[in-house]
Amino acid sequence: MTEPYAVPVPRGYRVGAWEVREPIATGAFGSVYAARRVDTGHGNHNAATGRGSGSGSLPETAALKFLPTGTGTPRQLTHLRELIEREVELLRRLRQPRLIRMYESLTVDDPADGRLDGATVLVLERAEGSLSALLGTAPRPPAGPALLAQVCAGLAQLHRAGWVHGDLKPANVLLMADGSVRLADFNMAAELEGTHAYTPAFSTPDYTPPELLWSEIGERGRRIRPSADVWAFGVLAHLVLTGTFPLPGGTPTARRDAAVAYARGTHELRLSPELPQAWSEIVRACLTRTHSGRIGTDALLRRVTAAAEGTRGTARRALVPRSLVPRSLFPRSLSRRSSRRPRGRPRRTFVASAAAGLVALAALGYGAVRWADDGREPGAGPRPGGTASVSAASYGAAELRTDRDVPPAYRLLIVETAHDCERDEVTPALVAAILKAESDFDPDLSDPAKDEYGIARWTPSVLRWWMNEDGTPGEAVPQPPFPPAESVPAMGRYLCWIAPRLEAGLEGDRAVLTAVAYRTSYKKVNDAGGVPPKYHDYAVRVAHHLKEYTPRERK
Amino acid sequence: MFSIIVVPPQTPEDENTGTQFRLAPGERLVFGRAVSEGGLLIGHDGVSRRAGEITAHGTFWTVSNLSAHQTYVVENPEGAGEHIKVAPGRLDAPVPFEFSRIVLPAAGDLLPVEVWAPRHDYLRGEGGADGEPTAPAFSVDRTKRYFAVLAALCEPRLRGAPHAPLPTMDQVVRRLRPTWPAASRTSVQWNIDYLAVKLRLKPGPETADPGPRLNGKKESLVSLALRFDLVREDDLVVLTEPSGQALR
Repeated sequence: MTEPYAVPVPRGYRVGAWEVREPIATGAFGSVYAARRVDTGHGNHNAATGRGSGSGSLPETAALKFLPTGTGTPRQLTHLRELIEREVELLRRLRQPRLIRMYESLTVDDPADGRLDGATVLVLERAEGSLSALLGTAPRPPAGPALLAQVCAGLAQLHRAGWVHGDLKPANVLLMADGSVRLADFNMAAELEGTHAYTPAFSTPDYTPPELLWSEIGERGRRIRPSADVWAFGVLAHLVLTGTFPLPGGTPTARRDAAVAYARGTHELRLSPELPQAWSEIVRACLTRTHSGRIGTDALLRRVTAAAEGTRGTARRALVPRSLVPRSLFPRSLSRRSSRRPRGRPRRTFVASAAAGLVALAALGYGAVRWADDGREPGAGPRPGGTASVSAASYGAAELRTDRDVPPAYRLLIVETAHDCERDEVTPALVAAILKAESDFDPDLSDPAKDEYGIARWTPSVLRWWMNEDGTPGEAVPQPPFPPAESVPAMGRYLCWIAPRLEAGLEGDRAVLTAVAYRTSYKKVNDAGGVPPKYHDYAVRVAHHLKEYTPRERK
Repeated sequence: MFSIIVVPPQTPEDENTGTQFRLAPGERLVFGRAVSEGGLLIGHDGVSRRAGEITAHGTFWTVSNLSAHQTYVVENPEGAGEHIKVAPGRLDAPVPFEFSRIVLPAAGDLLPVEVWAPRHDYLRGEGGADGEPTAPAFSVDRTKRYFAVLAALCEPRLRGAPHAPLPTMDQVVRRLRPTWPAASRTSVQWNIDYLAVKLRLKPGPETADPGPRLNGKKESLVSLALRFDLVREDDLVVLTEPSGQALR
């Protein structure tokens, strides 16, 4: 119990295709080590059984989470096994851009080492650091609003999939090498049964809503609702933006008592005056006295997105008043795209928050998110030693070239939009190429003659069918302006719906055909057996930009 | 969201036996012979009209001695004589014990008022290095008698048979007697009741019935304790070593 690491693993230890490198972190339930892939296929492997989790090849480096499930571990913890099963179950079933990705899970088969034999190993995406470490070195990080928007997007992805995180806190928010955020540590996560889930009765007091602090505990654990994550998000937002906890007190115990006093109505909530107005309202909406008054996750995401965007939105919008083009001038006749109700699988992810994040980065003039290297040995991570710095200008550099004319402000939005679609054709480079061909990245494009507006040249009556991330049509035909944060994700949803509807055996590049179908319709492309002659020039332009934006080493 | 529970002295003529006062942090409870509604009435002529006041603070509580002449003693019943004295007129003296007995001297009688502070937390030996640790929502003191009672209840299932029947009250008393000679059905039952509070056991549907259905409570306690590893096989040594001592 006194040893620093819950599961000590020697450097150089081999598990499956992985060689253990330096330790990264340890928690109450397991220890995480850096690892690199050594694909020899022979040698001293210590894994007999493994379960892959989906397609795709394994990365060069990963983080291995060792969980002591072996028969020879000093303490056989039944609840530990259950916690691990939760995490594996969630990671196996959920693949969302804002949740940490699990590549495979392995079981160590090493009779020679009784402490490791039987241990469960989760092979996870390698992060650069945690929000906790970032806050440790840089309280109130300048990129705070952008990070929070991504955290909120992750929560929304989790909740929509029917899960509750149950232990949201800075240590469980991981920062990737490209500056994006992933939620991790799903030991406490629970799948909803109706409006509730049952989670083991563990928590971190500063992030636990008051109704759970001394909640009754049944034999199945503690009943928890998604609103518990919303409370935790409110605490997290206050901490990230002001460097202090929202409830007063010098110790977790004092703050826990303050939370209870607040919930009982004997104390008022007094948030830090440093909190900007919009964020103050958001934090208040999260930190309501009872769960029933708390804001829903989708509404929260919209407000967080708007707040993260707000810093720069006012500046740009002021140049383009909404009344620039009177509504009466809009011709209502033509819609150039199929306006049938999409029957495709509803897109369950949402990327506007990613847009908001990048916008805040750009607006504040902070080019880079920085965090200190937390004592890791050089040569381990994707960026050896020192500090890692990532900027909006290089976001997703592996998939979208940085030395072309794609505006940095839209990179995160473009990359995340493409990632939300699982079709191979829909890549960041394709999304960027279409935006280039449609509007030359002009967010304020307004073409009343063709009834097309915004960076993606949406026709209002068509956008209606794609504007909502849950696949439902808008209640009314939307009116311009259509900001990029709405236009681009909607375009991604439409592209993702088009791609599988193009017949096999069409002539030409599938990605370019998808783009042409976006401009006209998938039926016209199918009927023509390829690019219709009328759209030949458009196809050439898209193909040119697609090639131009795609990094050399890929495809 | 209480943190402190006050159990009034049980007097034979009292009808309201079993009443407990649950106080949330910041709440106060006045006790005495003539207290206004909502206070704890102690109907004994030897007690002052306003004898004192208990204030709940998270894990501990404070007591004010409002009497003019009498010193109150707050005992730790399992503390091998550990106690604090609260002199007349002393306000807000902090009491650190998980359970305590305020002894009010009253014309030759000693009236005990029990106060429980079930929110005491104990180290579990597992710590996270990064940020705040994720902690169990409850923890138990392995040196307390309630833990010995819990261990005795869990023993048959920990020793092997996962569906073994729970020991009866008399079996538990017999099992505990070597290390706790004063064990009795009443004291064991007291500890079971306290455990249910300490572990915030969700009252099962059976408690809707009038009258105690103790079997249900025992069963729930044991399954909760085993599920969350509050008692493990190596904890069963408390049944062979003296427990109920502040130090072991």
